Amino acid sequence: MFASFIRKMLPGLLLFSMATSVMAEIVFYSTQARPLEEAQRMRDQVLSGFSGGVKFLPQATGTFFSRIDAEQQSGQVTLGVLGALHGQFPPIGDGLDSVDDVLDELADRKLDTTLVELGRLGSGQQVYVPWMQATYIMAAHKKALQYLPDGADINSLTYAELTTWGKNMKQATGQPRLGFPAGPKGLMHRFLQGYLYPSFTESVVTRFRSEDARTMWERFKTLWETVNPRSTAYNFMQEPLLNGEVWVAFDHTARLKNAFARKPDEFIAFPAPAGPKGRGFMPVVAGLAIPRGAPDRKSAVRLIDYLTRPETQIATLKAIGFYPVVDVELPDDLPADVRIAGQAVNRQSRATDAIPSLLPVGLGDQGAIFNKVYSDAFRQIVLRGADVEQILNRQSSALKRIIKKSGAPCWLPDKSSSGPCPVH
Amino acid sequence: MKRVGGSSAMAWLFGASLVILCLWVLLPLYLLMVNSVSTPDQIHGWPKRLWPEISFDTILFFWNFQGVAQAMFNSIVTAVITLLLSILLGTPAGYGLARFRFRGKNLFRIMVLMTRAFPLPLLALPLAVVYLQIGLDDTLIGVALVHTMLALPFTVLVTFSLFLGIPRELEEVAWTMGCTRWEAFRKVVLPLAAPGIAASAVFAFVVSWNEVFAAAILTVNNQTLTAFLVQSLDESPVHLKFAGGLVLVLPALVFIFAVRKYMFSLWGIASR
Repeated sequence: MFASFIRKMLPGLLLFSMATSVMAEIVFYSTQARPLEEAQRMRDQVLSGFSGGVKFLPQATGTFFSRIDAEQQSGQVTLGVLGALHGQFPPIGDGLDSVDDVLDELADRKLDTTLVELGRLGSGQQVYVPWMQATYIMAAHKKALQYLPDGADINSLTYAELTTWGKNMKQATGQPRLGFPAGPKGLMHRFLQGYLYPSFTESVVTRFRSEDARTMWERFKTLWETVNPRSTAYNFMQEPLLNGEVWVAFDHTARLKNAFARKPDEFIAFPAPAGPKGRGFMPVVAGLAIPRGAPDRKSAVRLIDYLTRPETQIATLKAIGFYPVVDVELPDDLPADVRIAGQAVNRQSRATDAIPSLLPVGLGDQGAIFNKVYSDAFRQIVLRGADVEQILNRQSSALKRIIKKSGAPCWLPDKSSSGPCPVH
Repeated sequence: MKRVGGSSAMAWLFGASLVILCLWVLLPLYLLMVNSVSTPDQIHGWPKRLWPEISFDTILFFWNFQGVAQAMFNSIVTAVITLLLSILLGTPAGYGLARFRFRGKNLFRIMVLMTRAFPLPLLALPLAVVYLQIGLDDTLIGVALVHTMLALPFTVLVTFSLFLGIPRELEEVAWTMGCTRWEAFRKVVLPLAAPGIAASAVFAFVVSWNEVFAAAILTVNNQTLTAFLVQSLDESPVHLKFAGGLVLVLPALVFIFAVRKYMFSLWGIASR
């Protein structure tokens, strides 16, 4: 039976498998909008309006880089447009075509100039065109609001008030109700780099082991006593928020989205807290680039043009919760999750004490090790209770090595430097 | 079958281990199925119920998810090609190892295993470069070749010990009765070895079905189901993970169920 089945199937299967698909679709390879629902909405609500056909393929970062690398090495390029975060472009910098000409065509778009500048990656030419942006905010269940410390305004909270809030909740409910995404795939390192450090030291690199940093770690250790210990397993805070394990949490807007979308009447969003130096926050920028030797550059340019149109930017916001990078009036009919998060995002970036800090720039392939410096410091100091000064000394020498190796000059909130960013 | 021991304590132990083993396999499958037909609220909610209200929303989401059907088809084609190639190449190699003496036989046996000594992420990049250059990139046969390479060591070694277990005398009798070497193999050895070959075929199928990394790098338009879903599933909400898990598991289950006859007779051979 088996043998005859095989005999009948073989020729057809071989023929089928060798027939490569002959499609004129342009391939849009992206590290963003990976979760299934987002990928689906990206295809249905955003890309369906593009005339000419586009195949949206969200990829894990590992395969994303390997595939681009392989295509560049072999000279056979099949990918049309690449969508990735700002920090993901430097490692593939050599494989990218300049998009100066594309940017000229988009002159009427009113693209955010700071983001366009970022897209040059410190080089003379435009490496990517800004695509969309997001940030990290706080979310809370309405049940938690009754425990807010007296006199605290949720929209201009401080870290001291957050600590008291956490303490109050723990006392009242018997359980730690604060949550942070410190799991293996969580974005805790961004909290440390973009929120905690800037708020207490107005720096990420230069003042890594300053007096202020030591105070900061001591305070954060106290705060952590009111944090749910399961935080070291959380990757996306929307899950513990939805199942009630955690009432107040910090995360990326895209990773809180489901909580707001599913239970818009139960959750609120608010800006991250402020420290002694101000309210540190980190905008996240994604960009669009064209690989060197792309098969159909004209279509690639048309796709970038389409994606940066105001109406497509709004559609993208509705679909995956990333905010426009062009100057555009937000409509009133936004879905609940965007409405809830959008207000907090707005309040956060426009806060009078705001300290914007960028994702690491110019680190190249040292980016992952750079992140590790911060998450290791967190793990040692906060989770294992190691001596703050000793750990900061050790980690700062690792930091120095990384900065020296990559030669990266300072980025916000550190003051700009001529050479590699100094670590005091 | 003879009862081992015979005391009631042994019988209890036997029964208990049987139940535990069955639960070990069935409970996760049960949870997977129940949760993939529950509403998201039930999955996040507490307390859990043994019998949920059935809702097909999540499963339907997958059914309507653009490309799932095509990816599943690609996966099946790739897995079947892998299965055929590894049987067609692996069985003769196993037979040769079991029946003939030749120089470098031991070295050959080790070299067969060497293909598994390098992690795939290490091989994938140069492989992708070569595939792109020779035009195998983005084809199912290309992916199936890589999967065959992964499955082949097992096929060779499993069929090798399988043929060792079949007495050479049986073949020799067939020769004396006028069979050629090939006829003796086909009429005497093959029927005896069929269950074992089927088992290694199942293995090859599962290897191909589960492989993500190579499939993801080597394909763009013709992604397999795992390449298509697994990476995205990892970052999707819990209820989608359950449904996606079911979608990934189900076809492999159906396949194994279809060839179960051969698997059961494999145990028959082993205890004979």
